[in-house]
Amino acid sequence: MSFFSEERASELKDLFFESATELLQALNEEGLDLEKHPGDPEVVRQVRRTVHTLKGDSAACGYTELSALAHELEDALTPELAKQHGVKVAEVVLSAADTFQNMLNAYRANTPAPTGDRVFAAIHALIRKPALVPSPNAVSGIVTESAPAKPRFEWSEYEKMVMTDAVSRGLKVLQLALTIDPNCVVRVVALQMIKTAFSDLGTVLVVVPEEGSPLDKVEVITAALASSFDEEYIARKCKIPAVISEVFVERYTAPAAEAASTNGAGGAQHAEEDALNLAPEQNVPHQEPISEADSFSTSSLSTAPESTLRVDAERIDAVLNLVGELIIGKSMLTQTINEFDKKFAKDPLRAKFADALAYQARVLTDLQKSVMKVRMVPVEQLFRRFPRVVRDVSKACGKEVHLEVHGQATDLDKSILDVLAEPMAHLVRNAIGHGIESPEERLAAGKLKIGTIKLDAYHQGNNIVIEVSDDGRGIDRQKVLAKAIERGIVTQEETARMTDGEALNLIFHPGLSTAEEITSVSGRGVGMDIVKSVLERLKGSVVIDSKVGQGSTFYLKVPLTLAIIKALMFRVVDRMYAVPLGSVMEITRAMETEIHRVDQHEVIKLRDQVLTLVRLNRLANSTSKQKKIFIVVIAVNDRKFGLVVDKLIGEEELVIKALDDHLVATELVSGASILGDGTVVLILNVNSVVARLGRSNISDDLRAGASA
Amino acid sequence: MAKDLHLVGFRIGRETFGVPISMVHEIVRVPDITSVPDAPEYIEGVINLRGKIVSIVDLRKRFGEREITRNKKNRILVVEVDSKMVGLIVDAASEVLKMPADDVEAPPNVFDEGDLNYVTGVGKLKERLIILIELNKILQKGELKRLGDVAATQLGAAV
Repeated sequence: MSFFSEERASELKDLFFESATELLQALNEEGLDLEKHPGDPEVVRQVRRTVHTLKGDSAACGYTELSALAHELEDALTPELAKQHGVKVAEVVLSAADTFQNMLNAYRANTPAPTGDRVFAAIHALIRKPALVPSPNAVSGIVTESAPAKPRFEWSEYEKMVMTDAVSRGLKVLQLALTIDPNCVVRVVALQMIKTAFSDLGTVLVVVPEEGSPLDKVEVITAALASSFDEEYIARKCKIPAVISEVFVERYTAPAAEAASTNGAGGAQHAEEDALNLAPEQNVPHQEPISEADSFSTSSLSTAPESTLRVDAERIDAVLNLVGELIIGKSMLTQTINEFDKKFAKDPLRAKFADALAYQARVLTDLQKSVMKVRMVPVEQLFRRFPRVVRDVSKACGKEVHLEVHGQATDLDKSILDVLAEPMAHLVRNAIGHGIESPEERLAAGKLKIGTIKLDAYHQGNNIVIEVSDDGRGIDRQKVLAKAIERGIVTQEETARMTDGEALNLIFHPGLSTAEEITSVSGRGVGMDIVKSVLERLKGSVVIDSKVGQGSTFYLKVPLTLAIIKALMFRVVDRMYAVPLGSVMEITRAMETEIHRVDQHEVIKLRDQVLTLVRLNRLANSTSKQKKIFIVVIAVNDRKFGLVVDKLIGEEELVIKALDDHLVATELVSGASILGDGTVVLILNVNSVVARLGRSNISDDLRAGASA
Repeated sequence: MAKDLHLVGFRIGRETFGVPISMVHEIVRVPDITSVPDAPEYIEGVINLRGKIVSIVDLRKRFGEREITRNKKNRILVVEVDSKMVGLIVDAASEVLKMPADDVEAPPNVFDEGDLNYVTGVGKLKERLIILIELNKILQKGELKRLGDVAATQLGAAV
């Protein structure tokens, strides 16, 4: 793209990759939809819209292979063809989506893109015609010259669809033909001026020629507007002296046949479709789905305001940091005012200061909350990739599976969401691979032939729970145990003492798969291990609930956000630490004299229970001489420990900052946070602290800790 | 004609060291430092630098200075290494030094060996010797010892 600077072009490409990924997601969904409702003209149109946008975007970035294929696909896809070939069309769309993905990956890696010959061939097989000459359907700036008296409007399929769509929504659609004044010097400006004029008049549906196409030979600009003004007013407005010489305005009426077919075929299934379709298209009062309405999209000439915005996560973090700074600034002010108070207690200015400060504090709190909200995205973004996964995997396994999705609107921190995709994919594949039985088995067991996988998401306190459940055969405890013994993971005696939960948890052990044979889908025993480790990294947990013959449910519990935790802060010697409030069971007081030593452990009796103590002052390699101590009781893996601390400070919401610098990285600390007064507090990783300090002898350990 | 080098000069013990000015983000006074458990001895801890957590290395301990005095002249040199900010505590930092690149000599052979290979050169500025160091190497994991001593004796011998 010669007219962009290098930097601009690469920026454009980044944007393209992002939006293309979303478009492909949409295309996958639409392909699946098409498979469900073969020949539905509404779905076919959606697919075309998506492919069209993809074509425009990729062409703008100079990715010719992709745009050529997209062009071919867009051309081939007509409702008639879809009706004629039914499910085959969906197959082609899905394989095209895969090819697009491969091409994108290749572009991203700067390697030669695959040609997509297979898809071309498939498309051609569908239309049974040799390769098409560039068809007039393409929206690439073809303008028909027509008699000035009554111009004919030649809209492409796509444009017609947009207009018909607008008409069917009850909008008044006008088609305009503007003859450019032959004396007009700068035609690009002419187009710009006309567009500005249009935007005052209503919503622009179509403008031909498109922006960016050469205007030298264009004499007539045709456009479609959705407007509430009458024709005459519009004609008057559009007649820009020395730019436009002739204006023709006509009301557009949808072709009857087209409208009828839309209503006939689409009507009955419409409600169902709405429920199934995860893409937000239907809610947007304009031709492009939100996700596609990228500012750089050359095909989108609409003036409708964009309601979503793509922002680099780093920028949000930068804003969050600044908010943190403001909070520190606020506490500095508060301190100053307190000092001021002491000096000039009677000064009338004092109250004014205090008011201003209170106001500022309130706004700050709101600001912080809003910024935090920006990071949250609906779980839908995660769920929407699963219809395709389910389809592919169930096909590969020869099973029939229906996917049910709930709770898509639940918000979750973006960083958590991204990480969850992989473990969820493993769970879903497992559920289909192992959980759901073959249709014959299901019928024999008296179940519905089609298996169901359910995804659900909901809040639970400060956590989000994501459920992945199936109604398959469930996990057989005995089988798991037998396998675990065979692999030497547990011994026979150990298994006898295991609870159901513990037995099921064995499946998270790497290398343990209950599948009899290894398939492409599952069976290597790696998947569940990944699930477990990812959730641990997210400070979440995974719980299995399974009944033989009835199915299994996996509950993935993750914190609402990784960025903020509620924490209990306390002081040990002269240092301040925090632990997540979620792990704190209770706080109690004790005297040094109540501490007993049992087998190198320090313990205390708490309501008839023996509690192992962990001395945090060993973190600082010093000893506190207080007689009265506080004990923070925490739960780690169902066991309780008591952290010995000197002084409690209180609970606070902490904004976590990673302590990932290799210089200071330690497993004892899971992060740091900056308090209102600017001090840094370390957030302890209770699991590691207990593991490190809970076990060994005190005085030796002091030295060991120092040299470690 | 080689360009002038712009260095931030700082003192540790009796020696003056120099790092390229482009690496230095800022120089701040030493605030309260939150120590981190489990960290090597020369890691003082972390500070809050306007909302960012920055780890602090006591360069004097890193160089094995025996007598570490805390006084008002102590500064933290906030540098960017591998796109990460790190603070270095030094005895004093106040000057920007300009010297022609020609005046920098390759380090004496003894520095090539072992732990001291982070010395990239020795610059002569009037009557002073400036030890040019590479921060990336200093901040890598592993122990470095007593540069101060070795440098002092070696330089003393060299002069």
